[in-house]
Amino acid sequence: MMQMDEQSRPELARGVRLRNDPLTGEPVLLFPEGVLPVDETMYAILRRCNGDLTLTSIIRELAEEYDIDPQTVRQDVCECLTQLREQMLIALFK
Amino acid sequence: MKDRPYMLLAELTYGCPLHCPYCSNPVQYPDGRELSTREWGRVFAEASKLGVLHVGFSGGEPLLRPDLPELVAAAHAAGLYTNLITSAVGLRKNRALQMREAGLDSVQISFQSDQEPLANQIAGASAHATKIEAAKMVRELGFPLTVNVVLHRLNIDQLERIISLAEGLEAERLELANAQYYGWAFQNRAALLPTRKQIAWATGIAAEQKKRLLGKMDILFVTPDYYTERPKPCMNGWGRQFMTVNPVGDVLPCPAASAISGVRFDNVRKRPLDWIWDQSESFNRFRGTEWMPAPCRDCSFREVDFGGCRCQAFLITGDASATDPACSLSPHREKLTTFVESIQAVHPAYSSAEQRPLRLSFRQNPTDRKCHTA
Repeated sequence: MMQMDEQSRPELARGVRLRNDPLTGEPVLLFPEGVLPVDETMYAILRRCNGDLTLTSIIRELAEEYDIDPQTVRQDVCECLTQLREQMLIALFK
Repeated sequence: MKDRPYMLLAELTYGCPLHCPYCSNPVQYPDGRELSTREWGRVFAEASKLGVLHVGFSGGEPLLRPDLPELVAAAHAAGLYTNLITSAVGLRKNRALQMREAGLDSVQISFQSDQEPLANQIAGASAHATKIEAAKMVRELGFPLTVNVVLHRLNIDQLERIISLAEGLEAERLELANAQYYGWAFQNRAALLPTRKQIAWATGIAAEQKKRLLGKMDILFVTPDYYTERPKPCMNGWGRQFMTVNPVGDVLPCPAASAISGVRFDNVRKRPLDWIWDQSESFNRFRGTEWMPAPCRDCSFREVDFGGCRCQAFLITGDASATDPACSLSPHREKLTTFVESIQAVHPAYSSAEQRPLRLSFRQNPTDRKCHTA
């Protein structure tokens, strides 16, 4: 089983769509068995999960854009991606 | 926040090549003609306007509808995520390609067991080998695959092999849904409800395998509420997030709700979907917390489990507004407990398919007087 590390390049898993809810304008994840509301933090992470950016780059970008300490960002990103991987909403590429 | 539906279950037909004894279809089919292609198209457009983001095509067997690719295209054009929930009987490659073309997002295939003889016996049809082939084809075409296995006393002991089957098929998801005991399953519950020991073992296996498969396959294990202390938050609350449109156009807060007598469900042929969602008596009947009796009314869990399942309350107590008897606080809990205790002495092997003919009532298709095809 592939573990998540610095060089992992996360992207939306097969059949998972990131859309805007037309009723609220808020982002949502649509996947085979349901709908998941996406909060601001998750959205900032998810829109960087394009299969190109490595975990390191995602953390660096977020730390710069939001001016937050990279260690804190790392913790948020890993927590979020682990939860999404458990539900097969995110896949990892190397 | 205003209630709005996120998901629509579109039951396209009650016809099905399988006869599973735990089928969620109603035991009494409603009268009427199946909705036409055009009528479904209107339903999807209205649903999307109302806030629906996701549609599940179900049945019966949705593949029995010759117009299924057109229906997928209509839902896709309305901006909905589309999921096909199928037995896979009749899922040939050209059909799957047509649906991919039409915008189908994902496929869920049911399996009855990992072993062909038991699987076919449960399904009441020779379908297992066909399903395996169809699942492989679905993966080749690049669809995400969910494998769904309804668990019960006759197959739950094979859980490890069932998980291997889904893993071998490279499914992203495995839904291990213990049978829900209403409708056909209620009629068969003495033969289907697993023992406490079986459930405890299976719960452990599911958790352990979920961990092992992290990042490869998600496992969803649903414990039967006969063995829980708290009731399930059925449909996440009546008329809060979900709606079902059945083959003849009746709109239901939950697919099993037609079993509740005394509640009349409005039909998409007579009323727009937004009126049914907002205004109809049926959708407002158990919405919110106002309708709740004691002990729900004063319970701190009332916004957590919403009083549980209305269908189960009706089935066990005769009163659809009673607290779900699966709740340990229900004055009717005893009715479930007595039943649960009565089956503990049955050795699982004693009722297994190889050793004993199954005493089950199998799901029947609608007769030609009911639910005419379109």
